[in-house]
Amino acid sequence: MSDELLVVRAQLGERAALAELVERWRVPVWRYVRRMLDAERADDVAQEVWLAVIRGLPRLREPARFAPWLFTIARRSVTDRLRGEYAGEHETVEAGEVVTDDPVEAIVDRAELVSLLAGLPVLEREILVLFYLEDLSVEDCAQICRVPAGTVKSRLNRARRLLRTRMEEKGSRP
Amino acid sequence: MTEEEPRLSAEEMLRRLDPSLSPMKRVRAVAALVAGLAGAVFVAALWGGEPGPLPGSTQLAFGLLAGFCLAWAGYGGWLLTRRVPLFATDRVIAAWIGLAASTATTAVLTVVAVQRGSGLGPALGGVFVLVALVLTVRAHTRRAELLRRARELGHGE
Repeated sequence: MSDELLVVRAQLGERAALAELVERWRVPVWRYVRRMLDAERADDVAQEVWLAVIRGLPRLREPARFAPWLFTIARRSVTDRLRGEYAGEHETVEAGEVVTDDPVEAIVDRAELVSLLAGLPVLEREILVLFYLEDLSVEDCAQICRVPAGTVKSRLNRARRLLRTRMEEKGSRP
Repeated sequence: MTEEEPRLSAEEMLRRLDPSLSPMKRVRAVAALVAGLAGAVFVAALWGGEPGPLPGSTQLAFGLLAGFCLAWAGYGGWLLTRRVPLFATDRVIAAWIGLAASTATTAVLTVVAVQRGSGLGPALGGVFVLVALVLTVRAHTRRAELLRRARELGHGE
């Protein structure tokens, strides 16, 4: 059953559809939250996200866009916890930015990517998690992060560069 | 290195979300809103329909009573918009409760107005009924839209 149908049925008030949505999206939401926060806070924040999802679900106008809406809520909860870190981050758009090749493709082990992500600044970590770990499109990432698609692309590019540097430092470059 | 997993299972997560989904919580929220509004309209109609000038203490009592009813209505409204999810089917039921309550209030106010020979009651009640009617139509339309979409998506799969 598609997410859209599940959302519509949940909006009608079907408890089983809501349970199925939670079952299907519980791990992706937690994974995003966990990559952004420490293990102690991840479970509480994930629960907070689901509470906000349930409260907001009756008002969701585009059930087909459930995933970006869900991650927008998750991001809001994470941002509340990391207000200081987000405030300290500034977009550094470089003119004529060179597009780097994708170091993530070289990382075969997903766990290795996860450990490398932990050391990245919050904006770059967030975009890598949404794009690579959650498989969301650039447009969806733009909606979630409330920035233009161009900013997502430049953030991704910068994040890949940082990731490459980390890989080289760790000597894990293939 | 193995990937971590959430500590809460889906069942545990749903169990923790249960209080927000409790039907009693929704009923309480709707009851607070409807009873608060009906009470406020009733008190306002009685207050406005008094034939002669009222003593200060009576004015104060009417004011306090109206304020008390509005506070309950505000609490119910806050619960329904911020705390308690009202799904499409719940919304239809809530709208019918609102319509029934507003019609009953208007009927009582009309009887009082006829007995007194004047009063704002029926007019105030009429507005109340009209709003409830609009909400009922909107709730039915929204539910019908969702049912139609569910059928379309269901056939496509």
